[in-house]
Amino acid sequence: MMRENGIDAQVITGGLRAWMQAGYAVESVPADDLILLPTFG
Amino acid sequence: MDGFLALLSTYGYAVLVLVLFLGASGVPLPVAVSLIAAGAASARHILQPGLAFTFALSALLLGDTALYLLGRSTGWWLLGILCRLATNPEACILHSAQAFYRRGRITLVLAKFLPGVGVLAPPLAGSMKMGLRQFLSLDLLAVSLYITAYGGVGYLSADLLAAAMRRLHALELGLKGLLILGVIAYLLYRARLFWKQSRLSVPRVEVQELARIIEAAKPRQVPIRDVRSHGYYDPGAVRIKGSRRVEPNNLLASLQDLPRGQVIYLYCT
Repeated sequence: MMRENGIDAQVITGGLRAWMQAGYAVESVPADDLILLPTFG
Repeated sequence: MDGFLALLSTYGYAVLVLVLFLGASGVPLPVAVSLIAAGAASARHILQPGLAFTFALSALLLGDTALYLLGRSTGWWLLGILCRLATNPEACILHSAQAFYRRGRITLVLAKFLPGVGVLAPPLAGSMKMGLRQFLSLDLLAVSLYITAYGGVGYLSADLLAAAMRRLHALELGLKGLLILGVIAYLLYRARLFWKQSRLSVPRVEVQELARIIEAAKPRQVPIRDVRSHGYYDPGAVRIKGSRRVEPNNLLASLQDLPRGQVIYLYCT
């Protein structure tokens, strides 16, 4: 869909798991971006 | 069901426990039909009703508790796996959690009777941090009602079910043919999907190559987008540094936000 709309997209092989296994930098998801689901506790 | 009755008379409670435990743990097995068969077997004195109830109760409770504990320890990850088969996994997770919370803890009892939902309820309860004691009390009630309902149907209508099974035997060849046709149609559909998707091969980049690209582009930011459907539900979630989230089921709206004229790198789990 992205390519159909003129956006040049590439997929990172192995995703986040491969990135972390290779030891590259990650960051915590900021609180504003978190989608907190309801809890009973 | 006739075959299951034959299994019950040969292997007794072991078969009942195995099927119910695996079914409660998420394996797609006919739990309700097994309980009906167990009820019919009890009516025919193949099984002892009290023992059958106890074994069924234990098996279902164990299976549900296993899923509850998995949900509790893995957060929303397990629900993400269970929702993967949904047409909209993101909505499946969101709506399941919100519906459960809105309707209250009693949902755990009612969910047992809804096909598909019954398997989601225990891990949902775990992910939503329902207390173990409360979960066990509600699940005990749910499982007891469930066994009584379906087992009772089997027990009270044992003769009627036997007559129905004899009629079904006559249709056996036709049913087998339909089943084989259905499997062939499904395999053809999957093959067509695979062929269609292989023609639309998406360019890929290795993590080492991307790291080099990021380093070479400094101080400019390389646009990296996170398309995970459930990675943002647990506090402590992480992402590739500098990446931003794009809702996978709302791509059209997100497209406006994406930079043009340069390569966008996408990733999921």
